[in-house]
Amino acid sequence: MDYVTNLKILVIGESGVGKSSIILAFTTGDYNASFPATIGVDYKCKVMDVNGVKVKLGIWDTAGQERYRTLTSSFYRDAHGAILVYDISEPKTLDKLKEWVDELQVYSTKKNIVCLVVGNKIDKPRAVSRERGQAFAQKHRMLFIESSAKTQEGINLAFEELVQKIIETPGLWETSGPSSNIRITNEERRQQESSCYDYTCSI
Amino acid sequence: MEDVLDEVVSSEDLQKFEKVFHEQLHQGKVTHKAQFEYAWCLVRSRYPTDIRKGILLLKELFNSHPDGKRDYLFYLAIGNARIKEYNKALHYVKAFLEIEPANQQVLALERQINKRMEKEGLIGMAVAGGAVLALGGLVGLGIALASKK
Repeated sequence: MDYVTNLKILVIGESGVGKSSIILAFTTGDYNASFPATIGVDYKCKVMDVNGVKVKLGIWDTAGQERYRTLTSSFYRDAHGAILVYDISEPKTLDKLKEWVDELQVYSTKKNIVCLVVGNKIDKPRAVSRERGQAFAQKHRMLFIESSAKTQEGINLAFEELVQKIIETPGLWETSGPSSNIRITNEERRQQESSCYDYTCSI
Repeated sequence: MEDVLDEVVSSEDLQKFEKVFHEQLHQGKVTHKAQFEYAWCLVRSRYPTDIRKGILLLKELFNSHPDGKRDYLFYLAIGNARIKEYNKALHYVKAFLEIEPANQQVLALERQINKRMEKEGLIGMAVAGGAVLALGGLVGLGIALASKK
């Protein structure tokens, strides 16, 4: 059955790690070598097909700059998924990612929000091993992927994995289609399975 | 929500940053940060009076704090677009693009503003067209009534 749901995806991480580039690569396939710092919050949307389920992704691109930190936290509300980005050529950006995990824990409202850690810029000389990134993701019970917005490598896969996991997480999302039957089915599934999903909370 | 011009600030956020701003105002020293955070909430309010207030605060910041110019210009454009002051909004967009001609975020905002102007221009014409039709109807009715006599 084909129906549409809206998912809110948040992209966070330090300034300059490539958040906007990842979103641009995913939504248009373009790349821009000199991306200026994002002002406040930007919004992009894209419709995606996941196993015959049509989902509309509302992707919120947040400014990584410190001056926006207090402002952007309000955008965490009701997010179904979060992408935490660091730069594999800048170890500091992974060290700092812990702060973003903390922010997410404080401000996100959906307790089983699905999180994905993305090590970006694999086209550049590596200064952070894949294992280190993976260990970080594992520790916080998050998905992990490495990517390059420049070469497109891993970009689509990142969003596919995230959305797939969100769709598989009962109770996290609701159908926004005209048929109310689907919503009931979804609710039932949540009730049956919620106990085994509670502790896999991704943060 | 289709674009950044539709995004509305939550009342909690507005109240939170309003409180900080007023506390600092009361103490006689408002930081750029507090003023910007409050202004950023105001220009995203659903009420035009709030937006106008936010625009004033941003103008003040623009003149007093060169470091944040690009942020202030961007939200001056957003604020003006939201109260349908499209020409003013485009003026700020243009000023921004003079510094960063290829900024995707600002180019997208420019497209959204143009789209709205176009859409509202068409709606205006449609209303005018409707009035002409109504007038035509009345005249027709008048003629019909007159010819009955």
